Amino acid sequence: MGRTGFVVQRLLLLVPVAVGVTIIVFFMVHLIPGDPAATILGIHATPKAIALLHKQWGLNRPLVSQYWLFIDRLFHGNLGQSLYYGGPVSSLIWSHLPPTLWLLAYAVVLTVLISVPLAVLAASKRDGVRDHVVRAVPLVGLGMPQFWLGFLLIYGFAISLRIFPVSGYGAGFTGHLQSMFLPGLTVAFALTPVVIRSLRASMINVLQAEYIVTARSKGVPPHRLFLRHVLRNAVIPAVTVLAINIGFLIGATVIIEQVFAIPGIGQLMIDSIFQRDFPVVQGVTLVFGVMVVLVNLLADLAYAALDPRVRFDR
Amino acid sequence: MKHKTTTAITLIAVSALMALAGCGGSSGSGSGGSTASSGTPVKGGDLVIARTADSQSMNNTTVFDNESIWVFEQIFQTLYTVTPNGKGVQPELATSYKVSADKKTYTFTLRSGVKFSTGQPMTSADVKFSLDQSRAAAKGWGYIDTAIKSVAAPTPSTVVVNLKYPWAPLLADLSLFSNGIVPANYGGKTETQFYNAPVGTGPFKWDYWHKGSALKLVANPNYWVKGEPYLNSVTWTDVPSDNTRELQLKGGQAQIDEFPAWSTVSSLKTTPNVTMNLFNSTRTDYLAFNETSKPFQDVHVRRAISLAINRAALVKAVLFGNGKPANSVFPPQVPYYQAATQGLQYNLAEAKAEMAKSSVPKGFSTTILVSSGFSDDLTIATVLQSELKPLGINLKIQQLDPNTANTNQQNLKYDMTLTYWTMDIPDPDELATFAVDPNSGARSFFTAYDNPTVVKDTHDAEQTLATSARQDLYNTIQSDAAADAFMAFLYYSPYAYATTSNVHGFYVTPLGNYHLENVWMSK
Repeated sequence: MGRTGFVVQRLLLLVPVAVGVTIIVFFMVHLIPGDPAATILGIHATPKAIALLHKQWGLNRPLVSQYWLFIDRLFHGNLGQSLYYGGPVSSLIWSHLPPTLWLLAYAVVLTVLISVPLAVLAASKRDGVRDHVVRAVPLVGLGMPQFWLGFLLIYGFAISLRIFPVSGYGAGFTGHLQSMFLPGLTVAFALTPVVIRSLRASMINVLQAEYIVTARSKGVPPHRLFLRHVLRNAVIPAVTVLAINIGFLIGATVIIEQVFAIPGIGQLMIDSIFQRDFPVVQGVTLVFGVMVVLVNLLADLAYAALDPRVRFDR
Repeated sequence: MKHKTTTAITLIAVSALMALAGCGGSSGSGSGGSTASSGTPVKGGDLVIARTADSQSMNNTTVFDNESIWVFEQIFQTLYTVTPNGKGVQPELATSYKVSADKKTYTFTLRSGVKFSTGQPMTSADVKFSLDQSRAAAKGWGYIDTAIKSVAAPTPSTVVVNLKYPWAPLLADLSLFSNGIVPANYGGKTETQFYNAPVGTGPFKWDYWHKGSALKLVANPNYWVKGEPYLNSVTWTDVPSDNTRELQLKGGQAQIDEFPAWSTVSSLKTTPNVTMNLFNSTRTDYLAFNETSKPFQDVHVRRAISLAINRAALVKAVLFGNGKPANSVFPPQVPYYQAATQGLQYNLAEAKAEMAKSSVPKGFSTTILVSSGFSDDLTIATVLQSELKPLGINLKIQQLDPNTANTNQQNLKYDMTLTYWTMDIPDPDELATFAVDPNSGARSFFTAYDNPTVVKDTHDAEQTLATSARQDLYNTIQSDAAADAFMAFLYYSPYAYATTSNVHGFYVTPLGNYHLENVWMSK
C-alpha cells in the first residue's frame, strides 16, 4: 500500500474514533450533576425561568434523542449552539484553536531546539560528566509543576527583565511569536527530559552499530557522522515519544493557557465544563480527539520521511 | 401630591459624582473612595481591565451575570440612574417626571439632544419599545416591571408609564440596566443581530468581542455629554487566574485588576505604581439553612448556629480584615437598612441555651455544601466546623464543583450552604422579595423559609409610598428575619479593584456599576 492509501485509511479510522469520543463524552457530561440553567440564572433561578431555558435548549427531551440530534447535526457539519453564549459552537472552536496550535507548535520547536543538541552532547561521551549533567538537570523541568514554572518565567522575563509580555496571545505574527515564547518554553521544559533520554539512548545504540564502525573506518568526519548517520537513525524512537507526549500535552495546555491567559481551546474547555455548556464540551473534546489521532498520523508519516525502510503495510 | 424633579438636580448629581471622583485624593486606597484624581482630565488612552471571567451576552433584558452587565452599562442608558452612594436615583435620559394624584400614572420628559451612537436621535418611540421588550422578558428581568400596565409615547419627548397599582420602587426599577434604552425595532435588525453589535446612547460604542478572550468598546463620538468620554477605548480581557491578573497589572499589560485575592490586598496597597481600591458594596454573604432538611425547620437550631458564629473572626480569616460583620439581611448601602437591628451576634452561652430548647439538644451531624475552587468558601466552612463543635454539631464539608453545588442548592438538596447577594436596584424590594417570599422569586433564597407575616410586610412595603411608613415595614422585616434566623448573616465585603496609579476617576457604586466616562489616564 502506498502512502496515499495509508493516509486515507488512517483518516477513515478517524470516524469510528470520533463517534466513540462523542458517545463517551456525551453521556459522561450528562452524568455529572449540574445544570447550565443554574449557571446562567444564578440566584435568580425561578422554576419558571429554568423550565423555559430547558425547553429552549431541548434539554427536556430524553437523553438518547438529544444524542441522536447531536450526531445528526454533526454529520451535517453542525456542532450545535453554545448554551452559554448562544452562538454556533464551531465558530467558538475556530477562534480558540489558533492559540492552542501556536502553543503546541512553539513547544515542539523549542523542545527540538533544546533536546537535540543536548542529547548529542550527552551521547557523544557516554557516562562522562556532561552526559550525567545533561541527563540530570532537565529532570528538574519535569518535576516542577507547570503552573509554578510558568509563574517563575513570568516573574523573571516579563516583570523583572521586561523582555516578554506577561501573558496573552499577542497580535499579529511577531506579537504571537513574542507572547507565546514563555508559555511554549514552559511546555518545552516538561517535554525535553523525556525526548533527551530517548534520543540519547537510541543514539548510543546506533553508535554501536556496524555501519557506524564502517563509516568511521571510511573516514567520515564526526559532525557528518552524527548528523547523517547517527541522528537520522536514532531519531525515530524519539519521534514516537514526542508524539505520545504531545497527546498528553494537549490536555496539559489547559493549565498553561490558564496561567498565561491564552484564549485557547483548553481554556474554552474548562469554562464550558463549569458552565455545563454541553455542546461546547462535546465539540472541544471531539477536536482534542481528532488532534491526538492526527499527531500520531504525522508521526507515522515522519518515520517514512526519516527512514526509507519504513513501509505502510500495516 | 406631585413630584417634580428638574435638570438642576442633574447638575447637582453630576457635580456630586465629579466631587466623589475627586475625593480619593492622596491615598486612593480608602474604603469608598475613587482612584486618585489629581489634575485636569486628559483625553486619550486605551484602558485594559483584566477580569475574572467573560461576559455571557449583551442582551440587557435577559442576562444576569455581572461581567455582561458592567460592559453593556457603558452602552445602554436608562431614564433614571443610580446615585453614586447607591441609595437613590438621578435623571439620566429623562430630565423630570410628574406623577398623577392616584400615583398610577408617571409622565417622563426626555432629555433633548440625546443621540444613539449611530447619530440617530433618541425619541419616546425608542423608550416605549425598550420598556415593552424588557417587560416581556419572561426568562429575564421582566419580573422587575410587573407593576407596569402599559407604556405610551404621546409626543416625541414624553413617555407615559401606567401602573397597575401604586408602586414605590418604580424609579429604582427604571434605573435597572434591563430598562436601558435601545433603538425602536432594534434599528431594523433582528434581536439576535442587534445584541451581537448593540447600539445605545452611552459613552462607549461597540467594537468587537472575541468570546473567551477580549471585548472592546470605543468612545462614542455622539455622546450627549460634551467632552466625554476621555478614554479612546476600553478592553476587558478574560484572565481567570488571580496571579496572572496581578502580574498583568504589575507588568503594565492591564490598568485595572478586577477582584484581586483578599490575601494580596495588603501587599498591593504598598506596591509602587498601584492603587488598591476598596469600594463600599452591597454584597452580603450568608449561611443558608435548608428548612426542608431536618433539623433546620427548628428555629432554635438555626438561632443556635447563628449565635455560635464569630463574625469578626470570619472577617479576619476570609477577608483579611477588609469587611464588616453583618447584622441584617440588608447591607448598609441599601435604603431602609436598619443599623439598630442587632441580628444574632456571637454569644456562645446564648447559643447553647437555644440548642437546649431545640429538638436536638445533644447536637447532630450535618453537612455544609461548598463550591470547589472557592477558597474563601472553604475557609468559612472550616471555621464553622470548629465553631459549631461546642454545640455538639458535627459538620461535614461537602465540596462539589460550582455548577453541581448551584444546582443542588436550587433543588434544595443540601443542609447548609453559603450564598451571597448584591443589589441590582437602589431599593430593597427586589432583595426582600427574593429573600423572604417563597412563592415569588427563588424560594426564599432556596431556603424554603416561609413566615406569612414577613411575606405580607414585604408586599405591603411595595405599595407604601410614604417613606416613614415604608421604613417601619422594612424595620419589622429586618428584625423578624433576624429573629427567625432563616439564614445566618455573615459579613459585608467591599469591591476590591487594583488599578495602576495613572488611572483616575475610577469609581464603583455600591451596586457594582461603574461609569467609565469619568475615567481618564495620565501619561
